[in-house]
This record gives sequence, C-alpha cells and structure tokens, in this order.
Amino acid sequence: MTTNDNNPPDERLLVHALVDGELDPASALRLERQIAADPALAAERARAEALRRALREKVGPKPLPAHVRMRVERTVGLGAARATARPSWAALAASIAVALLLGSGATYLALGPQAGSGDRIATQIADDHLRALMAAQPFEVASSDRHTVKPWFNGKIPQAPRVVDLAAQGFPLAGGRIDVIGGEAVPALVYRHRQHLISVSAVPAGAADAAQISRRTVRGYNVVGWRDGNTSYWAVSDLGAGELEGFVQAFRTAPAE
Amino acid sequence: MDGDRVSIEEDRRRFADVVMPHLGDAYALAHWLTGDAADADDVVQEASLRAFRAIGSYGGRNARSWTLTIVRNTALSWLAKHRRRTVVAVDDLEAVERAQALPGREGAALNAPTPETELIAKADAARLESAIAALPVPFRETLVLRDLQGLDYREIAEVTEVPIGTVMSRLARARRRLAERIGNEE
Repeated sequence: MTTNDNNPPDERLLVHALVDGELDPASALRLERQIAADPALAAERARAEALRRALREKVGPKPLPAHVRMRVERTVGLGAARATARPSWAALAASIAVALLLGSGATYLALGPQAGSGDRIATQIADDHLRALMAAQPFEVASSDRHTVKPWFNGKIPQAPRVVDLAAQGFPLAGGRIDVIGGEAVPALVYRHRQHLISVSAVPAGAADAAQISRRTVRGYNVVGWRDGNTSYWAVSDLGAGELEGFVQAFRTAPAE
Repeated sequence: MDGDRVSIEEDRRRFADVVMPHLGDAYALAHWLTGDAADADDVVQEASLRAFRAIGSYGGRNARSWTLTIVRNTALSWLAKHRRRTVVAVDDLEAVERAQALPGREGAALNAPTPETELIAKADAARLESAIAALPVPFRETLVLRDLQGLDYREIAEVTEVPIGTVMSRLARARRRLAERIGNEE
C-alpha cells in the first residue's frame, strides 16, 4: 500500500503507454528503470502485456459480411454494386476494369506529369492490392509455409522474391501472387495481421531510386517503400501507419532463409 | 444540373477512396459497440450515409480516423435511441474507482502477479469477448480501438474526441477491469 505513494497513478498509466510503444526513448528509458525497481509497476506491465497478447491471439475478427458492403455500395450508388447477391465473373471483371480505369485516370490527374516514379509505382502497387482484395482470393498461391510460396514463383518470374517467416511477430504469411508493374511481372507476398492483409511487392530498382524509406497514403491505403540492394520493396495495407511501419521493420530485419 | 451530376460523381469517387477501404474496421467497431451483427449492419449503413453527405468536408488527413469517428458517433446515438439502459457517466465511474479500487485489493494482487497473468494467458476467446462486452462503453471503445484495431493514442483521441491523457487513463482502467474480471471468474 505504501508502494502507491512512490507510485503516483500517472506512472502506472505510463506503463500502458510504454507497452503500446507510445513513449519517446528518453521517457521509456526512465520508466524502464522505475519498473526494474518497483514490483507494482512490473506487475502492471506484465498484466498489460499478457492481456494484449491474449486479445491479439484469441479474439476473432468480425469480418465484414458481403451483404453489408453491397448495401453500402447501393446506398451511395457506387457502380460496382449489383442487385444480385452473387455477381457473375463477367460483371466482376468489368467492375475491376472500371475501377482500374478510374483509378489510373484519377492518378494521372492527381500526380501530374512531373510526379516522380516512386509516386507512380506506389499508386500501381495500391491498385494491385485493391484489385487483389476484390478478387475471390487475394493471392494465387495460398500457403503459410514459405517453402511452398517461394518455389511457386520459380519459372514464372526471373527471380523468386525473398520470403521471410514473420508469424512470431504477428504477421503470418498468407500467400503470394504476381502483379504487373510498369509492364513487368513482379512477385507480391501477402501477409496477414488480424483481419488486415499486407501486400509486399518486390520491384527491380531503377538507378535513380532513393535508398531511404518513403511513406505515402494512396486512396486511403498506407504505402511504405524501401530499397534493398537492387530491389525496391513496397508494402501496402489498410493497417495504420504505425503498424505497417512495424511490419516493415520486422520484414527488413528478419534473417533470410 | 450537369454540375450537380459531376459533383455527385466526385463525392462517390471520394467515398470509394476514403471510406470503403475502412468499411471492415467500421463494421467491427459497430459490432463491438452494439454487441450485435444486425445492429452493426444498420449502424454501418447509417454511418455511411452520414459520411457520404459529409465527404466534402473530409480534410485529407487520416481516412481511417475520419471514418471511424462517424461510425462511433452513429453507434452512440443509435445506442441512446434503441437501448433503455441506465447510462452511467464515465466521470462517476472513475470517481468510484478512485474511491474504492486502489488501496485494498491492489495491494493483495501486487505480491503475486503471476497467477493473474497466467489466468489471462489461459482465458479462451469466449471469456475474453464476454469480458470486453461487459465494459462500459467509454472503456470498451478505447480498448477495442487500441488492442483489436491497432489505432495509436492520437488516432483514438481523435475518434473518441477526448484528450490523449484521457485515452491513456481509460485504456489502463479498461485493461484493469478486464484483467480483474478474467481473474475472478474461475
């Protein structure tokens, strides 16, 4: 009970901010020292971490039912919505074509002729991600095993991408597919995080591509690009910017095979 | 007339860009707040209409926060209209907790933190979900936005329209209540 005196409630709140990665390094360091010296704070942290893990691993997603999405599309008069519950393949293909057409037209207007190649690639990556989400399956090979996904690319494209296992970090592999970026077939890996999907495309880097990380928002999706050797990588998802950043960090630092 | 048609098309395009990517999160939040799939469907429809009417005022910042703010407000007014539930102001809740919770059982739990974290680790999905559902709305929405939907504190402050300090204290209280409930229901 006397511990409470050394422990004004503020510190215990800060423990949660620490667990959530919301503290700047200096404050985090100071708090880490206090936690080491104080079992009450240590208990608070253990509890918060246990809960976070349990919630993340066990509470199931509440997936959006198809009829809810279609009802919304009808309500606001979006073109893709059909009265029928089950759109035919032709209709679906047509709506995808329309979306792509609208997308590229809008992109051109938004970016203008002087936009850098990074912007164009980011937009294409976001389009491919969006198109994949609209398909029945967001990937062509479905597997959580990188030893299944990597060989699948062989023979389809010149070089199979780097495939890393990030399940332990909360990003299990869902599958892979091939996108076409700037007329070239490039591999895309699909990872899952809760009910969100992340596409990672590996594009041969141009000499002009900058080495540092770039961040953009394209049509509401977050896009992070970075370069590794002769390849530029692009991750796109509807995840929040912070979480996507965490994924990119995990992807870049994971050991290759 | 032609101008009207063009601006509606423009609104539709913006809606498709801004709101549609986050419809899944919108539905999940509505589901957690109303506790029911059919109610969540209705809330999402109503929120979509509100968002569509307001799409011209979307400032181009965080599309997900913008969308979820509308969904959250729609869900709260929906709850107020359709549920005859005693509404407890969160200030009262916080005062009660300050008055009784901290001294006694806090001390008891301190010396033995392991059993509680073990119970939490052993809890199954059904128990976790019923514990979340039992949280008062201000705590529940904060916990769901952070731990299930992955928003950061700044985004949660935006969506729930409170200062970041309040987000932090609600989150701590929500987690404490959850942990106690899971720990007690053996």
